Amino acid sequence: MIEFEGAEVRYPGGVRALQGVDLRIDDGELIVVVGLSGAGKSTLIRAINGLVPLTSGRVTVGERTLPGLDRRALRELRAQVGMIFQSFNLVSRSTVLNNVLMGRLHHVPLWRSLSGLYRAQDRELAMEALELVEIVEKAYVRAGNLSGGQQQRVGIARALAQQPSVLLADEPVASLDPPTSHVVMRYLQQINRELGITTLINLHFLDLARAYADRVIGLRDGRLVYDGPAAQADEAVFEEIYGRSLTADDVLEGQGGL
Amino acid sequence: MTRASVRGSGARAAAQVRPERPFARFRWTVTVVLLALLAWSTWSVDATWGRLLQAPGRAVGFVGTLVETASLEPLGVALEAMWESIAIAWIATLLGAALSFPLVFLAAANLTRSRVRQPVRQVLNVFRAIPEIVLAIALIPFLGLGPVTGAVAMGISSIGTLGKLSAEIVESIDDGPLQAVEASGGGRLERLRWAVLPQAMPEIAAFWLYRFEINIRVSAVLGVIGIGGIGGFIAQAVERNVFERIGLGLLVVILATMLVDAISSRLRRRLIEGPSPAAQARRERASTGGGPTGDDAA
Amino acid sequence: MSGEASVDRERGRTEPAGRQVRPRKPPPQPFTILGLAGLVAFTLVTAWDWALGIGFDPLALPGELADSNPAMVEGLFNVTDADWRAQYVELLRTHFTDPDSPWPLSLDSRIGGGLVETVQIAVLATIVGAALSLPLAVLNARLGAPDRVTHAVVKALNNVNRAIPDVIWAALFVVLVGVGALPGILALTMFTIGVVVKLTSDVVDGIDRGPIEAARAAGASHAAAMRTALVPQILPAYASFSLYAFELNLRGAAVLGFVGAGGIGQAMSYYWSQLDFEAVSVIVFVYLVLVVVVEQVSISIRRRLG
Repeated sequence: MIEFEGAEVRYPGGVRALQGVDLRIDDGELIVVVGLSGAGKSTLIRAINGLVPLTSGRVTVGERTLPGLDRRALRELRAQVGMIFQSFNLVSRSTVLNNVLMGRLHHVPLWRSLSGLYRAQDRELAMEALELVEIVEKAYVRAGNLSGGQQQRVGIARALAQQPSVLLADEPVASLDPPTSHVVMRYLQQINRELGITTLINLHFLDLARAYADRVIGLRDGRLVYDGPAAQADEAVFEEIYGRSLTADDVLEGQGGL
Repeated sequence: MTRASVRGSGARAAAQVRPERPFARFRWTVTVVLLALLAWSTWSVDATWGRLLQAPGRAVGFVGTLVETASLEPLGVALEAMWESIAIAWIATLLGAALSFPLVFLAAANLTRSRVRQPVRQVLNVFRAIPEIVLAIALIPFLGLGPVTGAVAMGISSIGTLGKLSAEIVESIDDGPLQAVEASGGGRLERLRWAVLPQAMPEIAAFWLYRFEINIRVSAVLGVIGIGGIGGFIAQAVERNVFERIGLGLLVVILATMLVDAISSRLRRRLIEGPSPAAQARRERASTGGGPTGDDAA
Repeated sequence: MSGEASVDRERGRTEPAGRQVRPRKPPPQPFTILGLAGLVAFTLVTAWDWALGIGFDPLALPGELADSNPAMVEGLFNVTDADWRAQYVELLRTHFTDPDSPWPLSLDSRIGGGLVETVQIAVLATIVGAALSLPLAVLNARLGAPDRVTHAVVKALNNVNRAIPDVIWAALFVVLVGVGALPGILALTMFTIGVVVKLTSDVVDGIDRGPIEAARAAGASHAAAMRTALVPQILPAYASFSLYAFELNLRGAAVLGFVGAGGIGQAMSYYWSQLDFEAVSVIVFVYLVLVVVVEQVSISIRRRLG
């Protein structure tokens, strides 16, 4: 379970990215967070694994509560929360397998990660994670040689190799074309269903949000402005969240030109 | 979370073939070659490795003596020697810059045919290869044993590096202006003056300054054969066990080198990046008299 | 290009030429004026023949280079034989201009051994120095250091190291471990660290930070994150700089012998003191060939790495 209580984030310079957010997420939910860019989606997600520290309020993930964790406890929390990034964040010169093994870093003794001599069981986990996103045949290929969609699947595998109980995805399809976007979203949905991993996905396409989410959370100017089942999130709701009428840029199918 | 949690769908996994781990030939070759070189050098070199063990103890004693004998009395002589090193390095840099400058354009692929370029490059390579100390020794009978010898030797040996790297800077310039000057009927020298120099000069000048930083170190090296400067000052002090000179000499050379590096790297950044946006805006306002054209810049 | 075009169009549409204000030509930048003035002043102070200058006269230089100075030679080498310089000049001339002049091809053991030792010193110093440099280069970059204090300390130490010329390191190590190849190896190891750490850590600032964020988000410790997300990105540049350091070490090893730290310089200074110019020119020639060959090989490898 993840719980936000009066969570606030104020960046140096005065921008208030999150303001008084109260939110409760149950285990196994698939939640899509929507909002315009700058609405605080990214901050909300990064507050969960402490990449962005709260300036006031609290976030509880399982039995750990931020802020107030020492460095060690914070790393334990992060190990339990997998993360997927818009620009994949793979080391392009390293092999796919070595990238996925980064998901094991918390569980591996330092001398092993420094020398690159991972245990057989860690390699096995990484291979299994690659199988789950059906890209294991590229295990020894340099990550930089893959297409965008393939790289994002490797990114998912890296998060899965952590054996996480929570998965965070920050605009996972924003750098991909529409067909590939659906492939990646389907993998995320399958993982949520089959492994029961609580999943939070930031998106700005409302059709994708409706198609894959159980529950939609809307943010505007750092405030929670919508929280309800995806089925009820119709266009009026999205206009409310965005604070303007919808355009072709707000739906993935409108991106045919990409 | 249990181990099984990653393996979601057994069926999907079964349909895929895991690849064999490929043999990293390049990595193994590099490793084997490096280890072989290391082993050969370690066993056959005429070094008494056991002395390494005494070194830390001796170093402590040595530093202790340096501290005990610390004295500011030779400061004047040390500063004079340091200044001499800097002067030698500066003259050498100017000499190297002046001598290499014409060769730069003959060595650049975008300006010069390969029939001319290749020989010029070879000449630059030879200059690069000659160690300064060899040149200095060769010059002694002509110029004597003094700072000028050092400056000339370093200047000549700078030609190679300055010429080669400046030529690479020239090769990296934008081709558009070159074609534009050519299209408007400009000849070789016009192209040089209006297309090449404006683009390449800041970086070349910055590289000259960088070479000056290097030359300060080199001039200290040449000090050991007696051309003067701080290198000879320290080397002689070490040879004769004049501890207060060793300590002070080291202090002077470290502080002066770091100071020159700091100044020079600031100048280099200013040369390459141009004036700061704020300073630029101030100047633009001044030159247009604060007129309404100011918003053109936006 | 498109920017220029659009400016023109806009101007054509909105402003007739008469209404535009032509700016005055701006005065030269203060940086330019001060820089040039400083340059000239510094040059005059350093070059003039007075207390603070070295007495460098560019006009007299060609004349001096054309003929050696007997008084200088006599004072220097304690020889009164005026033929000495004639011999020297003649030797240089024949060896470098006459293709038929016989090169003494047999290298005696002093020269051969010196060359081998020079290579060994350069190899050991490069491998040991480069191995130590990789972690230090990471710590020497703001992004790579675990905290500000470590960064500041590593940076300060390396700046001090770089400020001490290799030959001074050699002289100091001769005091600590005695004469021979060992002080030479240690001195060039310090030099290698200075070069490789500086150049490599400059590369760190330009890398893709995304993978580091990913490693942090996976709960990795700082060291593990650096090893897996940062080091692979700087590895090609690091390898290239290490090879470059090898070239510099091979060239720098020549001077070590003059302070008793081994290598070809020892043979050079020995024959120099014996006034055996034949041998000295052989050493110089063979050594140059070695340096050029190694450099060409190294450059071609570095080009593949880049």
